[in-house]
Amino acid sequence: MADSPPPVRLTIEGAQVVVPRGTTILEAAKQAGVLIPHYCYHPGLPVAGVCRMCLVQIEGIPKLQIACATPVAEGQVVNVFPPEAVEARKGVLEFLLINHPLDCPICDQAGECELQDYVFREGRAQTRYTPTFAKRFNPVEEFGPDVLYVPNRCILCTRCVRFMDHAAGDAVLNVSERGDRALIGVHPDRPLDHPWSGNVVDLCPVGSLISRDFLHKARAWELDKTASICTGCSQGCNIGIETRQNTVVRLRPRSNDAVNRYFMCDHGRSHYRWMNRGDRIEAPLVRQDGALVAADWDEALRQSAELLGGAGGDVVVLAAPHASNEALFLARAVAGPRFRGAFRVERVADEHPLPGVPGLALRGERAPNVKGAEMLGYAERFADQLAGLRKASVALVLDEALDGIPTDALAAVPHVIYAGTMLPEAARGAAVVLPVTTVAEEDGTLVNRDGRVQRYFQARSGPGMARPAWWALGELRATLGRGEPLGSSAEAFALLAAEVEGFGGLTYEGLGLLGAVLGARAPAGVTA
Amino acid sequence: MQATADDQPVFTGDRRARLDAIRARYPTKRAALLPALWLVQEARGWISDAAMGEVAEVLDLTAAYVKGVVTFYTMYHQHPVGRHFIQVCTTTPCNLCGAEGVIDAFLTQTGCRELGATSPDGRFTVVEVECLGACGFATPVLIDDDFIESVTPENVPGLLQRYP
Amino acid sequence: MGFPHAPHPKETVVLSRHFGDAEARTYAGWVKRGGYAALTQALAMKPAEVVELVKASGLRGRGGAGFPTGMKWSFMPKEKTKAHYLCCNADESEPGTFKDREIMRWTPHALIEGCAIAMHAIQAEVGYIYIRGEFTEPIRIMQAALDEAYREGVLGANALGSGKRLDIWIHRGAGAYICGEETALMNSIEGRRGNPRIRPPFPAQAGVFGLPTTVNNVETLTSVPAIVAQGAAWYQKLSLSNPKSAGTKLFSVCGHVARPGNYEVTMGFPLQELIYDMAGLRPGRTLKACQPGGSSVPILNREETEACRLDYEGCVAQGTMLGSGGLIVFDDSADMVYQIMRLARFYAHESCAQCTQCREGTGWTVRILERILSGKGAMSDLDLLLDVGEQMTGKTICVLSDSCAVPVASGIKKFRGEFEAYITGARKPVLAVA
Repeated sequence: MADSPPPVRLTIEGAQVVVPRGTTILEAAKQAGVLIPHYCYHPGLPVAGVCRMCLVQIEGIPKLQIACATPVAEGQVVNVFPPEAVEARKGVLEFLLINHPLDCPICDQAGECELQDYVFREGRAQTRYTPTFAKRFNPVEEFGPDVLYVPNRCILCTRCVRFMDHAAGDAVLNVSERGDRALIGVHPDRPLDHPWSGNVVDLCPVGSLISRDFLHKARAWELDKTASICTGCSQGCNIGIETRQNTVVRLRPRSNDAVNRYFMCDHGRSHYRWMNRGDRIEAPLVRQDGALVAADWDEALRQSAELLGGAGGDVVVLAAPHASNEALFLARAVAGPRFRGAFRVERVADEHPLPGVPGLALRGERAPNVKGAEMLGYAERFADQLAGLRKASVALVLDEALDGIPTDALAAVPHVIYAGTMLPEAARGAAVVLPVTTVAEEDGTLVNRDGRVQRYFQARSGPGMARPAWWALGELRATLGRGEPLGSSAEAFALLAAEVEGFGGLTYEGLGLLGAVLGARAPAGVTA
Repeated sequence: MQATADDQPVFTGDRRARLDAIRARYPTKRAALLPALWLVQEARGWISDAAMGEVAEVLDLTAAYVKGVVTFYTMYHQHPVGRHFIQVCTTTPCNLCGAEGVIDAFLTQTGCRELGATSPDGRFTVVEVECLGACGFATPVLIDDDFIESVTPENVPGLLQRYP
Repeated sequence: MGFPHAPHPKETVVLSRHFGDAEARTYAGWVKRGGYAALTQALAMKPAEVVELVKASGLRGRGGAGFPTGMKWSFMPKEKTKAHYLCCNADESEPGTFKDREIMRWTPHALIEGCAIAMHAIQAEVGYIYIRGEFTEPIRIMQAALDEAYREGVLGANALGSGKRLDIWIHRGAGAYICGEETALMNSIEGRRGNPRIRPPFPAQAGVFGLPTTVNNVETLTSVPAIVAQGAAWYQKLSLSNPKSAGTKLFSVCGHVARPGNYEVTMGFPLQELIYDMAGLRPGRTLKACQPGGSSVPILNREETEACRLDYEGCVAQGTMLGSGGLIVFDDSADMVYQIMRLARFYAHESCAQCTQCREGTGWTVRILERILSGKGAMSDLDLLLDVGEQMTGKTICVLSDSCAVPVASGIKKFRGEFEAYITGARKPVLAVA
């Protein structure tokens, strides 16, 4: 086994810190609980060292040094807040504000703006760049179908340029001109339409690169943010769902070094409007006099249990590969010994990798839980099972929208229990309809293509009487006498982990916010 | 400067051969960018967005990258200029020796009237530039590729006559 | 000097010996004048021996930084495991400086010889001479000389029959003062925007194309052949004051002088003799100020000028720097405020835009100075200028930012009255700014 070099011990703002050799002072400071103000530095991008904001004092070195590019040294004593460094950073902020317009009232970044944040912390109360000096003015530019560039606000940190060049491998953004005339630019023949280009909006510390989709939709401080997992494909990028008054207004990546580092693709990012759809099933439905009528949960569950309990033949579960592990597991449980599980998934030919992050791509498999479905006993044989429905007793449809399925496709089976979010034509012949919540409206877990089990959390409340599928199926299971009712998705997961190989040893607490790979004995996830 | 038709590629024939010879001097294709841009300007008189695209393709770079480089260096023209391009230094050492009078003389005598503008007859463009590195020979002036020393307002008319 | 005037008796003519002599430009003419003998001698020495020789001579970088040349060469890896490069800095753009142009257009082979010796010392097979784009005549002359050198077998696969490969190419700049900064120069050779690099890594470890590189100024390299031919001791003796500053230097004297040009004197030469006796003031004028080392060094008033010795330490003793040796002279007719504003405009125009302080600070400095010159300034503007300058100093990737602050700070310190005259209205505005 090779000897790794010994770690380095240094002092940052009076706190002793021990870090691996080669760590920068800025990263080491995080361990000491000190956030050194910075703009151009980003852990997912190569170091630039241009904003000059992270200037710190290192004892024994006369000039201030930039923390983002200075490696730690044994015995170093670093001071972040001595007067000289504070003055220097105050100077940087003042320089940034001489041309940066006072756009806060109309700027989307307000409330989550790093320029605002550091100016409030360390900047001058009043600028000395008097009103008689004109600020630089350039009109807003459309860089691409979604990304707008407001040149006046740009602080030339170059994160966007470095992202497109090094992470996306497609240098379509440049720095143009020189001095205080410099701007970010594109070439007219190549707009910013790369499949991962939306990340530049996240990376921009100020409101210079903004999303047309999000333009003037909400104020940052109005947003509630919840950890979740993107359902656009099987990569399982960690995201945050951001809502305003229960409406999802934005999806943004959440960092996870093992999956998506700091990024998400444009397809996933824009894939949220469906979470706000109003045409939802809002109450359980049962059949009465040949028509579906609203009922309460007790009645709907009673009738469902009767159908499942009395099933003499196969119980086919047609599940969508975005259903949670908990729901898939419990659906199999209520289906009993004659369970036949099937799913179908949209497969697109092209994948769109982010070359700078190995193993990260917008996958051709356009669903988040294909692996989970497979591990829980479902096969990608949707068409077959559909064709063979006449041999089954009950069809339990779990969150499948049945797009493109002929309206009489489910007619062959005697009884259909439809658990879903919207009611398609093909399901109108169902015996019972159970309104369930979407991934945005419940807690649960999904398994990505690399076998990582990841938690998602409830970001908004579901409509009407919709309940999580795990709850409804858990009640069914209890009614069928196959176990106790479940009080939480965590309990459902615990049940799953006890019974399904590969999930053994995993708990919600252990999964935390970063998940864990299946088959690992001890959970690898780090709690929040 | 001889112009080639704008819709034709620049790097064909002899010019392509020259570029290939230049590329051989460096271990990367990117390093041939500044020389390649000089070749384009020699051929066309300026560097258009389309020409930047051609250079990008020849050197395996993106057009945006090439544009970032073109806009950094002041000697590359991003739009057409007069038949004769006049650069007058007015930085402090020359400024002390009357450079502003020289540039005024050029503006008046060429009919350009404004820095950066081309004269109505398309013959001249006059720009003010920073130190030309000939401070002891104030005021130095570049007209096209001719580096002319010790220019005074008095010899401006005679000088201009040499550039039809 | 040699061109355009005959050398002054007080000069010590070494580098400028053949200035004005058209025949010296040719290979044959150069050899006739003793050229390429030093290269022949150097190629017979081991690279490390050449490095030691230059170290012993005390030669220091003539581009502005004054870093000991032999020491810089010794930073290159001793064991060559990858390609090494020499870059000759012929970007000469420091206002007041025009010596490298003269070296190239009168003694191109001297530069080639200096480059070749340096390349041998640092074990480089390829050298690039980065010539600023505006130097059309030096480019033509250097290219012709290189063509001759190849034809005559001085360069190429078997340099002077030594078995070593020496290739030198010209890389033409395109209008950017900042490309005179050595890491920006390397980026420009690589086909990038001329942005200076953060250090470490240093050029000797990872320079052009990420490979070990040494960047030297034209005058520095041209000083090398004579050192090889005549020895380190000879070069050391060419100093009037101080062993830390050896040899001769070309001082580009310009501005308010009667006979501008490049004067070659030994280190330690009295600055006032250069101005009063050799270049001479214009008739009826008195000396007000000067910048001995280009526009980026602190301005000296008359007293300081008269006390100053022209070597690295002597200039520091007077609160300025030797820099590039671009000596800008201001006589009593000079408007210091206006000229300082024009310098600030220069720096604002040339800022590469990477560092916040430089990008925004240079423009702000210009605007405050323009405001003062248009009669709309306030006394607080002077403190503001000094404070902005303070924030532009010692905090950026390169020193262009500091260089803008320096003439402003020294100008306000020593010529405050001229600034105040514009502010109080004692002097009428010379600009009309909104």
